[in-house]
Amino acid sequence: MVGVAQLVERWLVEPDVAGSSPVVHPNLNSHVGEVWVVDSMASTATVAQPDVDRREQLVADVPWVTIVWNDPVNLQSYVAYIFRTYFGFSRAEAERRMLLVHNEGRAVVASGAREQMERHVEAMHDFGLWATLTRSDS
Amino acid sequence: MGDSDEERFVIPFMADGGAVTCRFTTGESAVLADLAQQLIDLLSERAPDAAGSVLYAQLGIGGESSGPLDPALARLLPDAYRGDVEAASEHRQLTEQSLVERKMANARAVIASLDTAILERTEVRLEPTEVQSWLRTLTDLRLALAARLQIEDDGDNGIGDDEALMVYDWLGYLQGSLIEVIE
Repeated sequence: MVGVAQLVERWLVEPDVAGSSPVVHPNLNSHVGEVWVVDSMASTATVAQPDVDRREQLVADVPWVTIVWNDPVNLQSYVAYIFRTYFGFSRAEAERRMLLVHNEGRAVVASGAREQMERHVEAMHDFGLWATLTRSDS
Repeated sequence: MGDSDEERFVIPFMADGGAVTCRFTTGESAVLADLAQQLIDLLSERAPDAAGSVLYAQLGIGGESSGPLDPALARLLPDAYRGDVEAASEHRQLTEQSLVERKMANARAVIASLDTAILERTEVRLEPTEVQSWLRTLTDLRLALAARLQIEDDGDNGIGDDEALMVYDWLGYLQGSLIEVIE
């Protein structure tokens, strides 16, 4: 079986490679020419994302935000630790956003593409923080 | 919590090279392993097998479409969207089962660390990935206990079940100590 990476490379050079069929991602078609390269030999479709950064940047035209909500359980030090290590905030910024959650009841911790915010929310639920995502204009 | 002669607050976590160590009494270790197992049992209600289809679970579909009614489970597996039932339901169907599986795996890792320490008659020794499991499981246990105690506000003692509250505070102490040593 051809390795996925090789398959993508070959398709990019020569679209008519036998055994592969490019499928344009329906949701992203209007934004970028991302392709799904399906390896017909494999039992499952393999997704190739040749330019993930570019895709995220373009989809980010519709802004979404990740919000962390206050809860009476989680330790302040734990929340600050997550903000610093997961989102990459400095100690001071992580502390500031943690205090926003504590004092205001909520804080925005990230903004960008919807899919990316969904991943952040899932990661926060993994940590046990109460997080949601929403459109930034709502 | 354990025999009276060993009833004490645990000696906090300590750094040891890249790892973290903690010495638990037999009683403390047993309580923690029991709680972690209870967490696994609680979560198993929402695990892929319980939903009936392993195949769907592997495909990332077929998960529950609405949140758990049990307040403890509801807090462990919250909606990703507020005020948008449809989006929350769709997201839950796609992600809840893998979230449940990760939470169960973390709790199993905690039990494994405790078992290893008992078997080798040593302190509990956590490598960085195990520290992450411990942080998450200690949190999940406190979230579940807080839901049972009906703790709703900061500084709230809930329904005042002294024993459960003591365990809850002990877990918080453990977690605070763990964070302090890795920060």
